[in-house]
Amino acid sequence: MLQIRELVASVEGKQILNGLSLDIKPGEVHAIMGPNGAGKSTLGNVLTGREGYEVISGEVLFNGEDMLALDIEERARAGLFLAFQYPVEIPGVSNMEFLKAAVDARRSHMKQEELSSFDFMKLAREASKKVSLDAAFLKRGVNEGFSGGEKKRNEILQMMMLEPSLCVLDETDSGLDIDALQVVADGVNAMRDSERSFIVVTHYQRLLDYIIPDYVHVLANGRIVKSGDKELARELEAKGYGWLEGEVA
Amino acid sequence: MAANEFQQHALSVADSQQANAAFAERRAIAAERFAATAWPGRKTEAWKYTSLRSLQELTEASFAEQAKAIELPEAVKAVDSYRLVFVDGVFQADLSGDLPEFACRFSEANAEQKAFINEKLGTVVATQTESARNLFSYLNDAWLHDGVLLHLPRGASLNKPLYLVYVSTSEAANATLAHQRLLVWLEDNSQANVIEHYLSESVASNDDDVSSLTNGITEIHVGQNAQLHHTRLNLEDEAHTHIGGVHLALSRDSVAKCFALGEGGRLKRIDYQISHNGPGAELIMHGAYLARNKQLIDYHTCIEHREPHCNSLEVIRGIVGDKAKAVFNGRIHIHQDAQKTLAELHNRNLLTSNGAEVDTKPELEIYADDVKCAHGATVSQLDETALYYLQSRGIEAAEARMLLSYGFVNEVLSQLPYQPLLESLQVRLRARFIDEARKSAAEKLIGESA
Amino acid sequence: MSEQVESLIRQDYAAGFHSAIESDTLPPGLDEDVVRFISAAKEEPEWMLEWRLKAYRAWKEMDEPTWAHVHYPEIDFKSISYYSTPKSMKDRPKSLDEVDPELLETYEKLGIPLHEQEALAGVAVDAVFDSVSVVTTFREKLKEAGVIFCPISEAIREYPELVQKYLGSVVPQKDNFYAALNSAVFSDGSFVYIPKGVRCPMELSTYFRINELNTGQFERTLIVADEGSHVSYLEGCTAPMRDENQLHAAVVELVALDGARIKYSTVQNWYPGDKEGKGGIYNFVTKRGIAHDNASISWTQVETGSAVTWKYPSCILKGDNSVGEFYSVALTNNFQQADTGTKMIHLGKNTRSTIIAKGISAGRSDSAYRGLVRINPAAEGARNFTQCDSLLIGDRCGAHTFPYIENRNASAVIEHEATTSKVSDDQMFLCQQRGLDAEKAVSMIVNGFCREVFKELPMEFAVEAGKLLEVSLEGSVG
Repeated sequence: MLQIRELVASVEGKQILNGLSLDIKPGEVHAIMGPNGAGKSTLGNVLTGREGYEVISGEVLFNGEDMLALDIEERARAGLFLAFQYPVEIPGVSNMEFLKAAVDARRSHMKQEELSSFDFMKLAREASKKVSLDAAFLKRGVNEGFSGGEKKRNEILQMMMLEPSLCVLDETDSGLDIDALQVVADGVNAMRDSERSFIVVTHYQRLLDYIIPDYVHVLANGRIVKSGDKELARELEAKGYGWLEGEVA
Repeated sequence: MAANEFQQHALSVADSQQANAAFAERRAIAAERFAATAWPGRKTEAWKYTSLRSLQELTEASFAEQAKAIELPEAVKAVDSYRLVFVDGVFQADLSGDLPEFACRFSEANAEQKAFINEKLGTVVATQTESARNLFSYLNDAWLHDGVLLHLPRGASLNKPLYLVYVSTSEAANATLAHQRLLVWLEDNSQANVIEHYLSESVASNDDDVSSLTNGITEIHVGQNAQLHHTRLNLEDEAHTHIGGVHLALSRDSVAKCFALGEGGRLKRIDYQISHNGPGAELIMHGAYLARNKQLIDYHTCIEHREPHCNSLEVIRGIVGDKAKAVFNGRIHIHQDAQKTLAELHNRNLLTSNGAEVDTKPELEIYADDVKCAHGATVSQLDETALYYLQSRGIEAAEARMLLSYGFVNEVLSQLPYQPLLESLQVRLRARFIDEARKSAAEKLIGESA
Repeated sequence: MSEQVESLIRQDYAAGFHSAIESDTLPPGLDEDVVRFISAAKEEPEWMLEWRLKAYRAWKEMDEPTWAHVHYPEIDFKSISYYSTPKSMKDRPKSLDEVDPELLETYEKLGIPLHEQEALAGVAVDAVFDSVSVVTTFREKLKEAGVIFCPISEAIREYPELVQKYLGSVVPQKDNFYAALNSAVFSDGSFVYIPKGVRCPMELSTYFRINELNTGQFERTLIVADEGSHVSYLEGCTAPMRDENQLHAAVVELVALDGARIKYSTVQNWYPGDKEGKGGIYNFVTKRGIAHDNASISWTQVETGSAVTWKYPSCILKGDNSVGEFYSVALTNNFQQADTGTKMIHLGKNTRSTIIAKGISAGRSDSAYRGLVRINPAAEGARNFTQCDSLLIGDRCGAHTFPYIENRNASAVIEHEATTSKVSDDQMFLCQQRGLDAEKAVSMIVNGFCREVFKELPMEFAVEAGKLLEVSLEGSVG
């Protein structure tokens, strides 16, 4: 599904990713952990094509296609979804309207028929129930005045509606209490199937008790320095990141 | 030529003045400009809400010959400072202390300082903008004979504030004109606190008395990474008029904190012209105006953001009672290159009587897109529920009103870093507000019985 | 990102065609004879001519205002023609069938079918072409309800006592330079009278179209809502694309008597000039309403057109408990300049006013909000809330806020808030990551920014306004 080879990327002239490689097959869940400043968020931003993140070398193939050649929205329509660490507010634009436009764009890309307003509403209500957001949130401006937890749940709601094939969750667990964490994890787990893959970026092992990863990678200094299974995450939680430093050098 | 009577008188005063020869040319040019400027009327935007009619009472006024002996308020004496005292515009040596080596009066400047004054004076005053706004800066130059210089070299730090005390004592029968000029030049990485404190001794014997006009202009250059704290208290009473301004130029990474308080006065018009001339400069300004009786207080502030990454925060409060009037004009101008500017202006007003008037105009003029700017202005009365709440706790109505008024300005007042001054102002304002509250309670009683 | 955004905002003007209609146009220039000619052409009574001449004489003594934050070359008032009428209108058509088909086609192109059977259900339209009212639909149906809706030229002849009583009562002849000019030479416009207690059964609408070259358009609208009546009125405007600037100086007067409600909505889409700032309409308009006891006046405007706009729809809140509202979206692009806002004059007790103004500046344009809130001494308990937000797109445009707040009553409460921001990179990224293209993203964000105002527009216009913004933001992704 996704092949990242020797990816080198910089932000504002500062090199953050230093030859990162990663191979993700359909249906897999990869967790990426690492100390602050390791380049975890940069990965999500580079994959989605955010302005200001410059790819210096390396390649990224998404379903065999050169993803770096695509615009932000083309990558999104092809099935790449990023759940933001800090979801953005867009005053005046209702969640519903925003979602409808996004779903329409995705469906038209997949040569599917546009959903009728009725069907769309029905889906949106069901999805909002799944993430325990009152349906009234659909009428409010995108993330406008939402609490931190509501914003994160709204990200998962969007993910459900867009049915992407590759989801990148960028520190979706940060700032969440246990209840909200459970809701988010349930949402993600419900979407797991043999076709859909996830990259779960997190600083804390806690989330991985709820979303069990197939692989865990440690990112340090812009490279993956260690890979393993979910036991690696526990080890990190117990020992911290310090013991890896030898391997970083 | 000048058609206005006061304008003519001001020019003839300049003419007959025994002036410092070093300023002759500067005076002549300024006199010409002052004469050429049309006298402001209601249609002059910069003077839309402020009439200069009362200046016509001063067409006989002249400069004082010598400084009267007066007693300084205890609070003034209590501030540990380099103090200079002027009475009716004349230097009062007996009440003044020694100056640090960085400061002098223009008239006592050594050769080097003289050259410096000559080079820098007038370089900060924004004379290139609309002339009606600068009318009294021209006048200040036309009357120029003495002033105070503070020039801090690179990296120097003034160990205690420079404290300039200006006292008006004149009475209507013998009205005076007073001229003040201050030039503060902080070279890179230097640091200084400056206080300008205007007060009066005489009080009007009747409503129409006009006893003095003080024209005080301050120019401040804050060098790179330098730090300034500037305070200007304009506390002259009923019969005194003050028209002047503070002109402030901020260099790269400099920080200026300003505190302004205007209380009382027949007419007070203070212009703050502040310019961010280097990236990363920061301005924080707190101010309050308190007008009652038939006073008129007018503050104009203009902040020019010319460079990126500069911040400004301006918090101004006003309380206006009786038949007084307050005018506030706060302009923020973001030039095209001033990306990443953060600018905020908050102006809140309390009107405590029905004859009072507030005219406020917070302006934003923005030519850069990556900026965050906000301004807010409110006008309201004392919160009735808060009054009720206080009264329900057993506080007398007048006392409750006083507390709310006092609280309203105290948020700003508490920014004043000089404890003795702060305390004396707090006492003064409490007394003032309780007086006002009693008066309005009495009025109400009369209103109800009528 | 801002470059990308900027490339989105190149705009094409859809209403820029010119119709080949023969017309009689007065030669350029203005003197008393021109005023007399216009009055005679309209078969006006003597008092009307005198009223116009008084305005003309006052105008001659007045100076063009210069205080607005706009810059344009001096207007040569002698080079403008002050009257133009389509030839076929000389013998006024008695019914739609007699109207020049080319004229009707022009309106079809604008999306305003004048044939009643095709017309927007529930909207009566008065179409004004250059200086003349072409047709007014649904007149009969309105008449049944007692509502008068007709060209003002006709009202002057048919309802002189109403016109004489109210014309100039809100905007006097000498009010300002452009109002005086309008009072002297206005050629047509709409007149509305809603009788006591009547709710006007349909939306009323005037559609203005400037067609002829070098003509000024000076229409005059007068709406009188008698006690307890309600009316909602819509106004739309377009003009052909021309290299020369054209002057539009209209006056609108609203009178809301005790307990009446007037809602006045405008979608202003005069030709804004081309991308280099050539051509376009100078839109210098005076709009004012007076609200008596318990009456309310609400102005909603969406301003996307004109090269230069100078316009302050205002409310005089004369009666106790009267209400004034102003909702505005002003979008400027390329070299457009707009200085617009409102005045709320509180005279009566417990008067309330609300101002919501949204300015969007793009390209090299300049947009200013200028507003006055005045609380007079007798206006016990007056309240005002003002919110002005500016959105900047690109770094060569300007956004300005000049609020004047004058309070002379201690019991008044006035709140004013203003913010300026830009379409943020983060918002764009979120939209694009969700699969929306940049164009759609900007249009969505801008529409969201304007939401509070759009919801005040009647349904038909809300759709049009949304589309108009979209067109204004249309272009290729860079």
